[in-house]
Amino acid sequence: MVRRVAAFAPIRLSKVLTLLKLIRSLLKTLHSDGSPGQLAAGVALGAALGLTPIANAHNLGVLLLLAVLNVSFAAGMFAWAVFVPIGFLLDPVFDRLGHFLLVDMTSLRPFWTTWDNVPGLALTNFNNTVVLGSVVAWLLLFVPIYFLARFGVLRYRATIGERVRQSRAYKALQASQLYNVYTWFRP
Amino acid sequence: MSTPGSVRSGAASTYTPAGGSPADKAARKGREGTRIFRWEGIIPMVLFIVLLCAGWMVFGERLIRDTMAEAGTKALGTQLDIADLDIGVFSSAVEIRGIALADPFDRTRNLFEIAMVRMELEPKPLLEKKLVVKRLSIADVRTGTTRRTPASAVTGPGFAPRALKEVQKFAKQFNVPLLSLTPFDTLKSIVLNPTQLKAVQAALSLARDADSAKQKLENGYASLRLQETVDSSSALVNRLQGTNVRTLGIDGARKAVADIRRAAARVDSAKARVEALVATARRSVDSLQAGVQRVDDARRDDYAFARGLLQLPSFEGPDIGSALFGRVTIDRFQQAVYWTTLARQYAPPGLLPKESPGPRRVRRAGTTVRFASAEDYPRFLLRRADVNVTVSEGAMGGAYSFAASDVTTDPAIVGKPTLFAIRRAARGSNVDSLRVTGSLDHASARLREVVSAQAAGVKLPAISIPTLPYRMDPGRGVSEMRFVLDGEQISGRWSVRSRQLAWQTDSARVRKLNTLESLVARVLTGVNELEFTADISGTLAAPRLAVKSNLDRQVAEQIRSVAGAEIARAEARVRAQVDKLVDEKSAPVKARVAELRADADRRITDARARLDQEKRKLDERLKALGGGILGNPRLPGE
Repeated sequence: MVRRVAAFAPIRLSKVLTLLKLIRSLLKTLHSDGSPGQLAAGVALGAALGLTPIANAHNLGVLLLLAVLNVSFAAGMFAWAVFVPIGFLLDPVFDRLGHFLLVDMTSLRPFWTTWDNVPGLALTNFNNTVVLGSVVAWLLLFVPIYFLARFGVLRYRATIGERVRQSRAYKALQASQLYNVYTWFRP
Repeated sequence: MSTPGSVRSGAASTYTPAGGSPADKAARKGREGTRIFRWEGIIPMVLFIVLLCAGWMVFGERLIRDTMAEAGTKALGTQLDIADLDIGVFSSAVEIRGIALADPFDRTRNLFEIAMVRMELEPKPLLEKKLVVKRLSIADVRTGTTRRTPASAVTGPGFAPRALKEVQKFAKQFNVPLLSLTPFDTLKSIVLNPTQLKAVQAALSLARDADSAKQKLENGYASLRLQETVDSSSALVNRLQGTNVRTLGIDGARKAVADIRRAAARVDSAKARVEALVATARRSVDSLQAGVQRVDDARRDDYAFARGLLQLPSFEGPDIGSALFGRVTIDRFQQAVYWTTLARQYAPPGLLPKESPGPRRVRRAGTTVRFASAEDYPRFLLRRADVNVTVSEGAMGGAYSFAASDVTTDPAIVGKPTLFAIRRAARGSNVDSLRVTGSLDHASARLREVVSAQAAGVKLPAISIPTLPYRMDPGRGVSEMRFVLDGEQISGRWSVRSRQLAWQTDSARVRKLNTLESLVARVLTGVNELEFTADISGTLAAPRLAVKSNLDRQVAEQIRSVAGAEIARAEARVRAQVDKLVDEKSAPVKARVAELRADADRRITDARARLDQEKRKLDERLKALGGGILGNPRLPGE
């Protein structure tokens, strides 16, 4: 029993630290000087990284956009973390949507035939039902995610933002940075 | 990296929610409004891509090698091992070393091991995720090597495991007779269980069908409502007996005519019901008659079944040939069917989108759909390969030349059949000559595969004799095989000729032989030439096998001369026993069917006669009633 606890303790600690980092990242993003629009655009772009299978060419484009567009990169990274489990949950839906677009909609067949046979475009893996379904779903959800995130940021800042900033918990989280510094030198 | 929304680690945020000064807000808005891009963001992206490239250079080849081995294993249905992979990015060439493909039918052996394969690829199709091989070179091939560890079985829903299952099912469809050499002194009567006989089962089933048909006929006859129709018509005829227009008056006569017409319509309706019943009865009786025929057919199977229980030795040549060489022949053709089935699945005809399982990943794999177009490259194409291969060891060792053309996954795009040939000519070695040619024509909707192989001066495989503790070793001889799969039609021939047939005792199966076994063993071991031909025909779903050899002719003659009379007597006894059991059950059923047929004919004839008579009476009444004054109205059906 003691051995089991000892074996699981580091794993549990690392999970707690990851969660703390996530919360801190969220708060840092919310309390940054970015405008609600910039934060929301970052979230909407970052959602692609979580909703769609990561190792695909379109995600390189999303990362590039997050880097070169004047949007919140941190919000994008936060959205990635948040949308990964949602992506897993929605995979069956993406699969069906992709199958509908690739197979069932015969009118699109000439388009996909061209797409699949154009050098470069074929590397996008859009001929896979889950990849295509998730990318299309993300594009459809882009605007709703943007407005929801923008509304959320505005509401947060207008209501509890300042109180959270002054709270002990927030300060404690900020202080946990010190623990990070300690871990760098931990043997 | 400085990005909006993020602050330097440990630094205080400059965010001021509601209390920021208006001047600050305006300044910030102005700054943000004018700037959409931050070009400095490209620098970390470039660094990220450089890191990706570095990671690819370190781990990429290993990743591709593992993926290739896994995909190849899934595709071929047998374990594929790859020791090393080298990708020349700038030369667009791939070099694969240490390839070993396990035999799907014997997991302790490799079909072949290849030390090195080098493929030079056309670069442009790579951007479309397609492989077009310009040049192929292969070095150091070994065949039939023993594996250090047995290959793991490939399971799952892929093409190859499915093909393997289909082929195993195909092999089980052959009814290979056993070489039964029961001693004469143990030929005894058997006690047959009637329920095991197919004819008895068929007779019982026929009895149930006859009962059901009889009931159906009774119901049909009752639903004719014949008596009711006849009674009603007779009553009307009686009522109008001796009347005419004068006694009835104009209105009464008109009413009487209408009554007669209604009664006639009822009679006609009843006649139509009778005719429908005739059709039903005829179908039922014909079906029962077919059942009687089935009982007789099943009786022939029962003779064979009962004969099998006696384990009588067969002295029919084809039976002995199939018993001696059936299994080994099926094994040969089974392998040909497996590879052609796989080829059909991986190179299907047509240009319709082809679905296959997506790549394995943590997320759902989904389905990958390939869209082919006649104007584009196929997914895989080996235009031409002319390779000189040296098989370094084993019975097949030596130099071979291998040629293949238009090997592709999209035959409809290429529009030509895949052709291949292997040749060898080296007298004095283990194989004097070998020639294998074949074609896979999937360019049109009708798929056709042809494989021919001829080997001369080749060491032929030893074959165990079933039942007897002997192995025949044909030594070196000539072996020819031709296999054609045309649509679902299968045809093939395997022939072996050897003048060096030797017999070896199989020490693991040595035992005391009975009289008949000793005789057959003496006949067999006295033969020093082998000549057999196995023909396969039919369809994949119903294949047939016929084997002829010089051995089965000699064995059959010997068995016939020594034990023919005894065996014939035992067969006659068995047939009589089967006849007795089957007749007990089938004779009453046959009588019942005959009776049912006669009864149906009698009832129908009777019904027709009664209705015709009623119709005639109504007609006469109508004529009498009209008397030429009203003119004769037409009766329904006239």
